[in-house]
Amino acid sequence: MPEQPVPRTGASGVIHDLGYRPYDGPRNGSGTIASALFLSGFRNAFGLGRSGKSKVLPFLLLALNLLPAVIIVGAMTLFNANELPLGYARYASATQILVSIFVAAQAPVLFSRDLRHGSIALYLARPLSSAAYAVARWAALLAATLVFLLVPIVALYVGAVLAELDFSEQTEEAAKAALLAVLLALMLTGISGLIASVSVRRGFAVVATIAVLLLGNGVVTAVQGISDEQGELRVGEVAGLFSPYSLYRGGTSALTDELFLTPPTGAVMTAAYFAVMVLVGIAGLAGIVLRYRRIAGR
Amino acid sequence: MNSTIIRLSTQALLGRRRGLVLALIPAVVIALAVVIRALTEPGTGYEIVDAIGFTLALPLVALLASSAVLGPEIDDGSIVYLIAKPVPRRSVVLSKYVVAWLATLALGALPLLLAGLVLDSSEPSQAVAWALGGAVAGTTYTALFLALAALTRHAVVIGLLFVLLWEGLLGGLLSGIRWLAIGAWGQEIAASVSDAVTAPGTGLLYAVLAATVLTVGSVWFAGDRLRSFTLRGDE
Amino acid sequence: MGTISLEAVSRWYGNVVAVNGITMTVGPGVTGLLGPNGAGKTTLIALMAGFLSPSAGTVTLDGDTIWRNTEVYRTIGLVPEREISFGYLTGRQFVLANAELHGLTDPGAACQRALEVVEMVEPASRRIGTYSKGMRQRVKLASALVHDPSVLLLDEPFNGVDPRQRLHLMALLQRFGAEGRTVLFSSHILEEVEQVARQIEVVVSGRHAASGDFGEIRRLMTDRPVQYVVVSDDDRTLASALISEPSVVAVGLRPRGGVDVSVTDLGEFAHRLPRVARDARVRLVELTPTDESLESVFSYLVGR
Repeated sequence: MPEQPVPRTGASGVIHDLGYRPYDGPRNGSGTIASALFLSGFRNAFGLGRSGKSKVLPFLLLALNLLPAVIIVGAMTLFNANELPLGYARYASATQILVSIFVAAQAPVLFSRDLRHGSIALYLARPLSSAAYAVARWAALLAATLVFLLVPIVALYVGAVLAELDFSEQTEEAAKAALLAVLLALMLTGISGLIASVSVRRGFAVVATIAVLLLGNGVVTAVQGISDEQGELRVGEVAGLFSPYSLYRGGTSALTDELFLTPPTGAVMTAAYFAVMVLVGIAGLAGIVLRYRRIAGR
Repeated sequence: MNSTIIRLSTQALLGRRRGLVLALIPAVVIALAVVIRALTEPGTGYEIVDAIGFTLALPLVALLASSAVLGPEIDDGSIVYLIAKPVPRRSVVLSKYVVAWLATLALGALPLLLAGLVLDSSEPSQAVAWALGGAVAGTTYTALFLALAALTRHAVVIGLLFVLLWEGLLGGLLSGIRWLAIGAWGQEIAASVSDAVTAPGTGLLYAVLAATVLTVGSVWFAGDRLRSFTLRGDE
Repeated sequence: MGTISLEAVSRWYGNVVAVNGITMTVGPGVTGLLGPNGAGKTTLIALMAGFLSPSAGTVTLDGDTIWRNTEVYRTIGLVPEREISFGYLTGRQFVLANAELHGLTDPGAACQRALEVVEMVEPASRRIGTYSKGMRQRVKLASALVHDPSVLLLDEPFNGVDPRQRLHLMALLQRFGAEGRTVLFSSHILEEVEQVARQIEVVVSGRHAASGDFGEIRRLMTDRPVQYVVVSDDDRTLASALISEPSVVAVGLRPRGGVDVSVTDLGEFAHRLPRVARDARVRLVELTPTDESLESVFSYLVGR
């Protein structure tokens, strides 16, 4: 383009058109932006694309979470057992401490860091709504939690199939466990994500999440134990609605023949367990979306 | 010790949401005890003092308190404003420790006594035992977590791994971990006060010594870390 | 007194050398620590403030080692680049806490005096979280001044401060210097340093590149060979004519046309170039200086 002076008003000043032009080529839509955000969030949850130090914790937890599954499969083949000593769905209950630490520690990675360092403003300056940002982050954490929950289930399943346990039975049980894992992941993601998006300080978010998940579970378990002792089973069933892990246990007893204290009895109560699981997940997501809408509105 | 540091740390600890969560944890424990007592016979559900109050709520309170007084300031480097002063760094750490320690005693150990008394007032010695064990364990937890906060930015997660994974999960499987578990030492001390508490079996002398050594060592270490506090550039 | 001495100080992190064998003395008056970003200015200030141990050499204040010696803070006031995160305190509470930590007999009066010096009395009852960058910078300065230190260290005090407040800060620093305090501040902007400091220390890539009176350094900088590119219709003839000029120290032909010229005496060269070209019957097309940036000044100082 030739250099043409573009005259402006007045005498001395002039702005030369040097041919610099803004980018007007094709652009990706917000779908692509959101999916890129999802992918980077998912990788970040496992420390991928971050420093070497931040890979230690997620992979340590993942390895610890997988270890019992490997031991179980090994023991099963060694002693020629004809069933898994620990059911697929029960696995997450047995390792709930690891699961809790994972979501509590990794949710702030996805939700607190952008808030704390103010980089959230850069994301929201893109043609991406605050809701889409929130959903992308939430989905990344959900996917990471699911991977965390499903890896040992897959390991157990592969071991069981290779040990030639009854194929259709194993497949059915593993599928039920996978469904329950999705429900558990929905709840954990909603709760930990909401806490992390409200708290700027990482350590604070971690402890608060652990308090909600494990202290809540402890309280509910205590109530269930006492109601079982006292023969007031209904109290325990209702109490079970108030903590993610007790909901998960109730759902497990409803779908499989695993035994837990005061499982939900009757169609209404069972339906209530599943409804609350879904509702907790939705409420968490809604809370996160609202939180980011408020931040974007500032 | 330094009264200004104590005042600032208390403000950091109890300020806004952090103080609320810190108070909520013991509130949940006591509320549960009240509900159980209201609906059942005295003595029912006494396990919650151990299973929830001592094993979970107490270390969480200690973790929150000790990371709140030191963690954020070291994390973002703003502690330089407090320590570029003619105040010995060890006394800065000691002041911060005292604040976190008092918070742990009040919000971690004292609720054990209250919950125990609520659940079964006929046998106060058991409640006193748990509170005393909790006080000793809380003292040591707070010191250890303070040292972690002075050492690394991941202090909270490491502290959780220690409490939940090492003492909780692994401690339940491998009984030898009692030699290296703060909770077990506290329980040993509680068992020496009341027969209703099962002793983990380290012996009272070992428990007291181990708790003392770890507490003093941790606070000393935290002070040493602060003496060598290094200011890094923003890049 | 208040003189900070660095003796052959080096600081390295693993394989990275942040400060390389620096010896300097910072005495009363305003000293500017000048260097491009990442040159080691923050590292040097951290060493002087006792927040970094030297890997080699000694850092002393009036003969006393600074590292791990909290007594030096009776003499030193530090304004780090780091933001204050005590957003939940008011400005007054923060400065007062600093006064108390210094163990002053009347912390309230000291706090009031420091707030007056930085003109922050009125907003001091507001929480720090609500302050602008310039106000936070002044509260930081007040907190460092509260014990009337004879040494004041400031890391990038003018960063992000608006021009009016910048002038105010500069006037303050000059006043402190005139009062006989040792004031050292870091900056990567030459003009900033020029306006405040008489004495400057230049660091580049962790090395001590220049030191001395500002005017002297400035002259050394302007007297250095300056690089030009001259494009003409007959480069070779022009080059042979230029090399006979006393103001020119080196001439080179560029592969794609043009002559690289190193010039020592700028004024003489500017005067002579048209005449030389006319006498040689060469038509000049273009004359471009190639190294006017501050970085090139630094690299000249280092490469010398």
